[in-house]
Parts: sequence; C-alpha cells; structure tokens
Amino acid sequence: MTGQDASSESNSVSSAPIDFDRLDLIRDRFATDERFTQIVDQPEFASERLVCVYDTRFYPSSVQNARVEIVWFENGDFSLHYYENHVEGTFDHRWDRHPSDHNARDHIHPGPDAPTPGDDSSHPSDWRDVLSMALAEIEARQRAFWDG
Amino acid sequence: MEEPRSELQADAEERTTSPDFDALTSPEELVRGERTRDDFFDAVLGLSNPATASEVADLAGHGVDAAREYLEWFEQMGIVKQVTESPATYERNQSYLNWRRVQMLQDEYSTAEILELLKAEAARVDDLAEEFDVASPEAVSISKHASATDQSIEDVWVAVSAWKTARRRVDLLERALATESGDAADQRTAV
Repeated sequence: MTGQDASSESNSVSSAPIDFDRLDLIRDRFATDERFTQIVDQPEFASERLVCVYDTRFYPSSVQNARVEIVWFENGDFSLHYYENHVEGTFDHRWDRHPSDHNARDHIHPGPDAPTPGDDSSHPSDWRDVLSMALAEIEARQRAFWDG
Repeated sequence: MEEPRSELQADAEERTTSPDFDALTSPEELVRGERTRDDFFDAVLGLSNPATASEVADLAGHGVDAAREYLEWFEQMGIVKQVTESPATYERNQSYLNWRRVQMLQDEYSTAEILELLKAEAARVDDLAEEFDVASPEAVSISKHASATDQSIEDVWVAVSAWKTARRRVDLLERALATESGDAADQRTAV
C-alpha cells in the first residue's frame, strides 16, 4: 500500500471531507486556460465543488452550454461530472471513485443522463492523471462535433 | 465517452469556423504545475497514506535524491510530517493545511463575515447531524446505516461526506474567529 490515491481500498466503505486544498490548486491551474470562460467555486473560502464552464466556441450552436464539475475528497475519492445542455435534452458523463452498492469504487456513469448503475472501471492512481484523462475524453467528444 | 449524436454535430457552415483544438494546452500539461516544486507538492497533496521518498519520487516524476530534499524542506515548512523512521515515510500534514486556511480566512474576511459564514455552516452541521443518530460522522457505519434506513450506500456516503465537510468548515471558521478575538484578549488579560 503506497500513499497515493490508489483504488486498492475499493472494498472499504469510508468517507472524508472535501479536499479544499486540492480544489484550490486545480482552480489556480484552470483559471487562465482558454478552454474555460469561468471557474466558480462556492463557498469560495472552502470549495465544495469547482464548476468549470467551457467556452461555447468549442461547440456548434446545438449545444447551449457545457461544464465539468470537480469534487475531490481527502481520502482520494472524487466525482468528475461533465454536463452538456442542448436545445432539446442534455448529455452527462461521470467519472467516480467512491463507495457504492452497485459498482466498484472506480466507475463511470456514461451519458445520456448518467444512469445508475454505471460501468466498473479502473481510473489512474495519480489524481493529476485522473483529471487529464477526463479533460482528454471531453476534448475527444468536442472534436467529434466538428468531424464529419 | 460517447460521440455526439449526428443531429448535434456542426453543420457545413459552422465547420468553416471550427475551433483550433491543437492550439490548446494539452490536458497533461494543464493539470500540472510548471516547476519541479509543483510536482512534489502535487505528489504530497495526493498522499492519503504514509509514503517513502522513492514512492514520492515516482509520483512526482523526479529522482529519489530530489524527493528526499523536497520532503526535508516540506517537513520543515510543515507541509508533510514524518510518520516512520526506517524506512522513513511521510504523509500530508493536514493540520498545517488547515492552519494555512485559518490564516487565509482572517486575511480575506472581516470578523462579521466570518461570523455569518459560521452561522450558515453550523446550521448545515445541525441539519446533517439530525439525519444520523450518532455524535459524529466518524461513528456512522455507512453500509449499516444504508441498510437500516433503506438508502443506497452512495446516498449515505454523500451525506456523511457533507457532514464531515461542514464540520471541517465550522472548525476552520471557529479557529479564525478565536484567533482574532484571542489576539485582543491576550493584550487585555495576559496572565
């Protein structure tokens, strides 16, 4: 057992407070990135989630807005939730690491509407790799709006 | 992730102004800081169990000698604490990070604002505590509570996490208030 955010504790049912410090760091790194027009964290003195709003120029007019919401806990658990609002309907995708009775600790709720139960998965052990994996998958979907 | 349905895709006219994805900072770079120090700080921030210098070196993507130097420096600053001697293992020093946030609260908010935040968070703690018939979130067995109350483990986990988070906020805000009024009290009633 190393100290990293390993998923090897997948069967334990534990919880921890939100990791305000990790969310601060992510906010600082994302704040000046061209992908996002806005990073909202409330309450700002100790964030419970970062709402990262994507610039609409990455989407055709069929998508009204899109965002990824980031929640991280001190024990390494997380929930990354990507949302799109369309003229008619929505699209969701969620990458999770937390206890549940329907899935392994690491799992995915694929769109549309992020159903329960989701699919078991194995996310990277390093939190930065988890985050870049999610952003890369979102970018792949954004690119697919323009391929044709 | 699924590809967008065809009716959502850009039409021919929109495609003439397709965004330039290749000009963006890559996700791998975006999530990381620019300096070696950031790599080590990120590594120790992700530690939820004691780790050796070589494990920290792996997480940071740098050599073990650098890891030892940074761990020593971080320990002096209070960012990590040493847990065992040989092999030496370290973990994130949450008390230091909490202390730093108390300082930040005092710098950025007035006493009146901190008091308002505290009232709101204390009310949240009370609301969440009502859901569970125990003194603290640590005493909740998530799986037992889920089956006893016919809820999903996920729902109980969300509530217990929210309870722990609200209690952490109350603790930070109370400390920010206590230190502020404490400074004044020290001057008046120093014994």
